[in-house]
Amino acid sequence: MKAMMKLKQGSFLWYLYLDKLYCLLSVRNVKALLEYFHLLDVHRNNTLNDVLFYHFLHHVTSWNRTQIMIVFNMLDWNAVGEIGFDQFYMLVCILLAQQNHLEEQFIFRHSRPVFELLDLDGALRIGAENFHMYNFLFNIKKEDLRELYHDFDITGDRRLNYKEFKLFTIFTMDKYQERQKAEKEKGKKDLLKKKKLHHVNVTLKQFFGTNVSENRL
Amino acid sequence: MDEKPFRASLGSRASDMSSPEDIRNLWTRATLSQPKLNGPWSSVGEDSDMEGSSVGSKSRPWYNQKARGDSDGIWEEWDIREDKDSFKQEDLDKPSLLELELSRARSLGSRLEEQDGDSKESKTDTEMSSSESSLNISKHTPHRAYWMEQQNRLPLPLMDLMENEALEILTKALRSYRSGIGRDHFLTKQLQRYIEGLRRRRNKRLRLLMQ
Repeated sequence: MKAMMKLKQGSFLWYLYLDKLYCLLSVRNVKALLEYFHLLDVHRNNTLNDVLFYHFLHHVTSWNRTQIMIVFNMLDWNAVGEIGFDQFYMLVCILLAQQNHLEEQFIFRHSRPVFELLDLDGALRIGAENFHMYNFLFNIKKEDLRELYHDFDITGDRRLNYKEFKLFTIFTMDKYQERQKAEKEKGKKDLLKKKKLHHVNVTLKQFFGTNVSENRL
Repeated sequence: MDEKPFRASLGSRASDMSSPEDIRNLWTRATLSQPKLNGPWSSVGEDSDMEGSSVGSKSRPWYNQKARGDSDGIWEEWDIREDKDSFKQEDLDKPSLLELELSRARSLGSRLEEQDGDSKESKTDTEMSSSESSLNISKHTPHRAYWMEQQNRLPLPLMDLMENEALEILTKALRSYRSGIGRDHFLTKQLQRYIEGLRRRRNKRLRLLMQ
């Protein structure tokens, strides 16, 4: 299964964006999304059935059929065979979080809904297999998963309850922020280096330029 | 942040559907009202009574849209101004020309009770210059309707993009329906009719743009 999902360029979802702090859509974006949902709601049930849902995701994402049906079964938390707007909105937020590399922030901000989504059987605990199944949604790497169960399984039952999961999201968020900071610093250093190099080049050109003209004379 | 952020409210689909129609009715009444201003004011009230009944006149359809995101303040302000004006009309013996014209313009698409009061009052008012009043009404009514429409509707290019994409998705879904449940199933036919309606709307819009 592919880990990185890409939204189709130029599609309607591609133009939406999440608020970077809260990882939610603005009111205007929700209004537009609601209109879009109603366009797809062919049978006027305020829902999308599995066929419409599949074709929608197949059109706008790079997921295959298996991944799409996993997502459908995950979102159909009432087991009615259809997806309402609440679930549709959540899905769009997850897609946009992945598209904009905000997965850690998204899981941190919405740890409870994410936990409830991953807790398929309602046991209030998540096993490693749950994480592995939804790896493509939240882009959690294998090494991170191992670390997760090694460091945060405090109760030792090889499953995470909500508190353990919340600790994991806080830890991941800290790591994410440190990574951002490091990238910013690196970016600044690179820029400074480029400026110095440019300055040296200009000086050299001027130096060799005048020398060359004197030799000719 | 964990307190159910995904409780997106659908709102009333019926009210969503009815609001564009109400605004369009306002537009049509705004244009229809202008020629009638040459006659006495009572006839204007009577005509709007007839037109208003088709929209559910007593219920003030525009004013019910208080739970719409960014335009909440504007809708509420509209309500407050409307109430103040109706009170003023009852109290003043000789309302000023502008106030009366504005109140007439506002009441054209609204409550029957106010229209009844206006029509009664209009019989006692002196006749006014029709050209001046028609200019004022044409200045105020279309602008309000225009801004109300802008508050509620999505931009056309965005609607265009959404409809085109929905059309592509639904056309592929139709093939799945046909292969899965057959051509004669009522869901397949419903989807087919829906797609045809969407295509007609898109073609109509394209033709208008080309003109």
